Amino acid sequence: MSFDEKAARPIAELVAAGESVDALYAELLRAFETERGGVRSDDALKTFRDRWLGRKNGLLSATNDQWLKLAPRELKPQVGKLQNETRKRVEGDLASLQETLAAAGRKRKAIDVTLPGPRRDLGARHPVRLVLEECIEIFGSLGYSVAEGPEIEKFFYNFEALNFPPDHPAVDEMDTLFVTDDTLLRTHTSPNQIRIMEAIEPPLRYVVHGKVYRNDAPDATHSPMFHQLEVFAVSESTTLGDLKGTLEYFAERFFGKGTKTRLRPSFFPFTEPSAEMDVTCPFCAGRGCRICKQTGWIEVLGCGMIDPNVLRSAGLDPDRYQGFAAGFGLDRFAMLKYDINDISLLYNGDVRFLRQFR
Amino acid sequence: MRALVSWLQDFVEIPESPAQLAAALTLAGMAVDTVETVDGEAVLELDITSNRPDAANHLGLAREIAAIFGRPLKRPKIELVEDVRPAADFARIEIDAEDLCARYVGRVLLGVEVKPSPDWLRRRLELCGTRSINNIADLTNYVLLECGHPTHAFDLNTLNDRRIVVRRAAAGEAMRTLDGLERKLTPEDLVIADAYHPVALAGIMGGLESEISDSTRDVLIEAAWFEPGPVRRTSRRLSLHTEASYRFARGADIEAAPWAADRIAALLGRLSPGAVLQGRLDVYPRRREALRVDLRADRFRRVIGVDLSVDSMRAVLERLDFHCFYAGGETLSVEIPSHRLDVEREIDLIEEVARVHGYDHVPSTLPTIGRPLRPAPHVAEEGLVRETLRALGYDETIGYAFQSAEEAEMFGAWPAIPLRNPFSELAAVMRTSSAPTMLQAIAHNVHRNETNVKLAELGRLYRRDHDDFSEPPVLTLGATGDVRPADLREPAKELDFYDLKADVEALLRRFDLAQIQFDDQDTPAHYIGGCSARVQTERGTVAYLGEVDPQITEKRKIRQPVFLAEIFLDKLYEAGLRRPQHRDLPKAPSVYRDFSLLVPEGIPFGEIRTAIGVMEHLISLEPMEIFRGKQVTEGHYSLLLRARWQQGDQTFTDEQVNAYAEQLTGALDRKLNIQLRG
Ligand SMILES: [Zn+2]
Repeated sequence: MSFDEKAARPIAELVAAGESVDALYAELLRAFETERGGVRSDDALKTFRDRWLGRKNGLLSATNDQWLKLAPRELKPQVGKLQNETRKRVEGDLASLQETLAAAGRKRKAIDVTLPGPRRDLGARHPVRLVLEECIEIFGSLGYSVAEGPEIEKFFYNFEALNFPPDHPAVDEMDTLFVTDDTLLRTHTSPNQIRIMEAIEPPLRYVVHGKVYRNDAPDATHSPMFHQLEVFAVSESTTLGDLKGTLEYFAERFFGKGTKTRLRPSFFPFTEPSAEMDVTCPFCAGRGCRICKQTGWIEVLGCGMIDPNVLRSAGLDPDRYQGFAAGFGLDRFAMLKYDINDISLLYNGDVRFLRQFR
Repeated sequence: MRALVSWLQDFVEIPESPAQLAAALTLAGMAVDTVETVDGEAVLELDITSNRPDAANHLGLAREIAAIFGRPLKRPKIELVEDVRPAADFARIEIDAEDLCARYVGRVLLGVEVKPSPDWLRRRLELCGTRSINNIADLTNYVLLECGHPTHAFDLNTLNDRRIVVRRAAAGEAMRTLDGLERKLTPEDLVIADAYHPVALAGIMGGLESEISDSTRDVLIEAAWFEPGPVRRTSRRLSLHTEASYRFARGADIEAAPWAADRIAALLGRLSPGAVLQGRLDVYPRRREALRVDLRADRFRRVIGVDLSVDSMRAVLERLDFHCFYAGGETLSVEIPSHRLDVEREIDLIEEVARVHGYDHVPSTLPTIGRPLRPAPHVAEEGLVRETLRALGYDETIGYAFQSAEEAEMFGAWPAIPLRNPFSELAAVMRTSSAPTMLQAIAHNVHRNETNVKLAELGRLYRRDHDDFSEPPVLTLGATGDVRPADLREPAKELDFYDLKADVEALLRRFDLAQIQFDDQDTPAHYIGGCSARVQTERGTVAYLGEVDPQITEKRKIRQPVFLAEIFLDKLYEAGLRRPQHRDLPKAPSVYRDFSLLVPEGIPFGEIRTAIGVMEHLISLEPMEIFRGKQVTEGHYSLLLRARWQQGDQTFTDEQVNAYAEQLTGALDRKLNIQLRG
């Protein structure tokens, strides 16, 4: 008689036929263990569980009904104990079997992790944009608004309002690209000083940037088009000391901590006093190298207090308002920062160049 | 400008080393570029700004040094021994054009001997980069280097009637200048003439015929003052730029003229035999009036931000030869010296004081923030465009704003703005289309074997409407080659129209546009018709995209398909960015049905979608497969279309979906005669 058949018979009958209670449960457990060895998949586990623990037809339900419930009083304690132990054992084994199978399912075959993934590159950011965005961020942290302005500009805004004498060399066709007698391609971003001061009553503080133009054929060191950034601040109390403090803050943020600056008196039509700012060479920390031509200093920008004539051109009373302005070439800054020695690289779209800035 | 430290030391004590001196001068605005030792002599190379011609000579520089260090300036003494014969008996000077020549000083020397200069003179000139000629020419150069005033020496006996007439040239008049060239003159030009002919171009260059030669015995020394503007114009017109014209064009010191003439006469008296005749010939029709400017001490403090006493300000100015008078309160009345043509206003005096006091002594402060900052217009939109381009793998480039007239004509949609003085025919006009700019960048790469390119350029176009100029922003995408290179798992995928379209769509989706429709109508001629699209929205046409006409690419030696998109950002910026808005998440899943459709050839997908139109709960229509072949009825193509429906929290019943499906196929049948495939 198979143990399946035995399980379907009342215990008293089996004992009468010479079986012992202990032996019956021992046989049951052996069968369980034998069958358990063949379970290798989730599906097999489910069938196996139903066979042993199924509510209706499970083997342990059968023994519970036939053996335990129908046990004569004298056998009851013994059968009860063994039935209980066997059920616990089967349940425990099934649980651990399930865990083993799940763990096996999570296991992966080893792969060659040194093979490259398919390339997915982000687009490159243009070095001039990188420098521009950094500058805007730095001046933004000091409360500067941002504006751009037109590239095709009136002669008045580009020169006259900025206190250029009519026969200044820059006014010449040799230097400036003209559209008509009174219209030209702006040669600097300074016209926006006038445009903004005309439109907005001080106090004001602005960064203006954009493309500017010169009458130069392109080569490694010249470009007919380049980018400038200019900051200016106007109020009733803006001082040269404020200009100095602002530029020192900028220089440390942009060129790195510990960068020292010096202002050298200089001359521009639109500022008075005027100055040029040098910074300690960021490549040699001021010790002298190829890039700073062994001087330890690099000239980076022109600046000064906005000339009273310029304020007047913009409709402001120069006895009431005063301010400073500072301007520099973003291209030059980008070339300095990334050690680029050919300005045409900035404008020819060469992806070998651009992709270095991904 | 080159300066010799030993020469400076004639005028001011300099115990500092040349390097220390250079640093001090640089910080006071006299930029020293290099310090060299030449032949045992310290030589400074300076870059003096154009507003300071007064400092571009040894005496002027010594004055700066004296001011910087607070030391006395020692002016050279002129020891002139005059002859009893009056100069006026031997030469006459007239100024005809008083508006162009405010002063003319002459000195007459008789019986001089023209010969080589002594060593000390030759050495100084040569160290300063000036070639030695003869004692007289060298002295004029020496005095120029010393005090900055240009002078000229004439052979007196070559001057007809021994007369000097300062006048405008007559129309058609000509003269031969020292460099041997014949110069045609106009009444714009100021000349020094004798009784009949021009003998020098005033303030620029002497004439060949009146030049000092070995046989010269009698000499007229000229020290004059000419108006800067006309000197600059004549010198520019004749392309004749000299030391003299440089200085007169920037403004010479009118009061230095007699000193310069006397100084030459005195030195020549030491270097040559001969007599200096008695008296200067000094014609001075337009006397300089001394200028006085007030300097308010509080104004200085307010502008510079340094608390300097009025006495300190006065001390600085006095060291620079400005005479100061107290004008009540804390105001100085300052007399501007004749050599400082750049100082006319209070702010100029403020600069002088601040400069010599030292910018490095100005305390650094930060302005207080007065108002909140204003973001630039469209900064958010532009930022998201860039972010999207970067995510889509486009490298950003920057292109020139110019193009050739031919390109503008061929690619642009409106007449281009020509430049009046272009540096090249290839950059003769402002661009009306960004397509050629991008094609050039792609050609640049393809020619260098970089055949997989995705470039983006954010720039402007330029347009003129009567007197108004506008600069609409444009985004240009250029793409060619493989959109994905071959790798271990997949072969390369060549970029096609749909790859570019996907990028354009991704970009457009960031903006608040209700309708975005692609069609193939009216695309610009540089695209292949039928392989390019126009994108229309409620804001009008916002973009063109497609494959570039191979005729155009081949002309640029690009032998692979190139795709361009031109996106008119102004329209997108007007629409503004799409503002995300949360809607409750659907509780029930969507359902879909696939329809295998038999579509008559010539009906584009866009029309099918339009025919289906807006249906209740329909959330998407996707073409899953397009098939043409023998199995398909002649004149048709097969389209597998997946429609998807969804409603908030209810699951659809089969009856509902069947009804929707019938509605859909019914519309296609009715409007476009599209049947389900059997
Ligand atoms: Zn360095």
